[in-house]
Amino acid sequence: MGKTPTGNILKQEQSLAYKLLLPTLIVLALVAIYPLGQVIVTSFTNRVFASDQETKFVGFDNYAQLLGVTFKELEPKKDKETGEIIRNEETGEIEYERAIMVLPRTPNRYKELFQFNWFGKRIVVGARDPEFLGAVGNTLVFTFFSVLLETIIGLFLALVVNSNFKAKGLMRTTMLIPWAVITVVSARIWQWMLQPGTAGFFNMIMYRLGLSDGQASFLTNSALQMPTMVMVDVWKTAPYMALLLLAGLQMIPKELYEASEVDGAGKIRQFFQITLPLLRPSLAVALIFRTLDALRVFDVFQVLMSSKMYSMASYNYFQLIQNRAMGLSSAVGMIIFVIIMIFSIIYIRAFGVDQT
Amino acid sequence: MRRQTKKKINKVLFWVVVVFVFIYLVFPFYWALNSSFKTENQLMMTPATFVPRDAEGNFAPTFENYKSVLTNPTFMRAILNSTIVGGVTTLIALVIGSFSAFALGKLRFKGKKLFLYLVLSMTMFPQVTVLAGLYAVINTLGISAMLSMILSYMIFTLPFTTWVLTTFFKELPVEIMQSAQVDGATAFQTFYYILMPLTAPAMVTTGLLAFIAAWNEYLFALTFTSIETQARTIPVAISLFTGKIARQEPFGEIMAGAILVTIPIVILVLVFQRRIVAGLTAGAVKG
Repeated sequence: MGKTPTGNILKQEQSLAYKLLLPTLIVLALVAIYPLGQVIVTSFTNRVFASDQETKFVGFDNYAQLLGVTFKELEPKKDKETGEIIRNEETGEIEYERAIMVLPRTPNRYKELFQFNWFGKRIVVGARDPEFLGAVGNTLVFTFFSVLLETIIGLFLALVVNSNFKAKGLMRTTMLIPWAVITVVSARIWQWMLQPGTAGFFNMIMYRLGLSDGQASFLTNSALQMPTMVMVDVWKTAPYMALLLLAGLQMIPKELYEASEVDGAGKIRQFFQITLPLLRPSLAVALIFRTLDALRVFDVFQVLMSSKMYSMASYNYFQLIQNRAMGLSSAVGMIIFVIIMIFSIIYIRAFGVDQT
Repeated sequence: MRRQTKKKINKVLFWVVVVFVFIYLVFPFYWALNSSFKTENQLMMTPATFVPRDAEGNFAPTFENYKSVLTNPTFMRAILNSTIVGGVTTLIALVIGSFSAFALGKLRFKGKKLFLYLVLSMTMFPQVTVLAGLYAVINTLGISAMLSMILSYMIFTLPFTTWVLTTFFKELPVEIMQSAQVDGATAFQTFYYILMPLTAPAMVTTGLLAFIAAWNEYLFALTFTSIETQARTIPVAISLFTGKIARQEPFGEIMAGAILVTIPIVILVLVFQRRIVAGLTAGAVKG
């Protein structure tokens, strides 16, 4: 009996703690840790779900397939007889040969991703999987604009609701409605409002206001697709952002505003010198939450775009379910993981969240 | 005098802003409500009207969409599925989560920091990464689609309940536990009889948020019900909704369905709004 009673209690406490943690640990191991390991391993194989094909270890092939890009210079089109460079008759711009002529076809086929000018040369970027790189690009653009807009609108909403007026409670309640609507349901509602022709709400309103002929195809016109996706997402997420920021706003002491008013500072100066700096911690947390969420966007893309335009997550779903390409899909998952990790690290460094 | 007019103008402008914000927030919901009371012909009427109208322009709502949705077995089944999946997920996440939250919040043991970091990193974990892995696990286990969803929803509900409840347990005064121990209660009795009742409000909030997250989930639901279609939950059913006759998408019925599944959640949110806001921000600020 060398042990002191306190030592015994500590030991008991410790063993109880482990027992209590065990169920959580088992569940997390089953749904997250083991599947993550499985994904890492599978991403190096050519595994196809429910097929006779033998699963082989293929090294980095999946990653090369997804991320493989090549840069090729395009030659200007020349007149066959004179050898002169052909220019477009209307614009006077140089015409170039077709990208398909210069992009490699063996051993792997590259398809055109986009073209750009570089010191007077025309460069074409070819990708082995332009759809995936397109999905990465779409997701990054979507994340940037959607987080930017919802931060601005969310801050605006939070400032409105934080001021003193009669219908304050009602407004605060209303802010919860977009958040509470199922994302798929909200996507369907927007899909209906965005119908082409004046049966759709937006076309009807634009037609009535004389802004357009009322025939805009928001979901199929490639110039309108991305702005539409951002608009649909912002409606649902800006109020959530506002709620997070509102909590931060309410922690700012009123005395600060009173004091600055005595000093003769205007509302705008107050906003930049008091509100914004003191809101920084809440803003940082809200930004991280929303950015990580936006990077894994799936619902709105799947419902509104399906195969017309992919996000990283919807491309992963497509590869897994439609193509049953487990190996490739696992590699997609790992790339998403790495991209999200990079963003988390940048944010944590930039805002010093770990110190607060 | 001048100052007063300026003040008045400011006030009017502010109210214009408030009304505008209000319309922005509720309009899509209103439009769904409006469309759900329109017949197929009224839906195709151009330009679209703000209330259901007949050819003469009289107010003429129809209840056909609601009737047809409420007698649609696929849709009703989806509501049942979602309720079961959401309910069971929430219950398990709360029970298991409160166990570990108690350990993390109130007990002394080695490796606490490591476990806290594990839970925290899980709350930020991109679920889509493990989609293929989970799919493989579930196929190996050979469990039904409903169970698959419940199990896979643990990936986002369990870290959330654990994390939020841990902060609640931490805030409870140590004296309560100590006096219970002096009275001879075991740690488990302290947990069950003293701490649990005290954290009941936190449980309601956390449970509600976990339930809404599960109710909303689409990616896993779509993946795991791709073969077992009768297990489809509401988001999947709404996204794949087709009418009785395969023609254009039946938006009237879809909107009626949208309204029907949104109303219960909106009521829940209205009843518990203070707690929800507190829970949402607690998770975020302390995350």
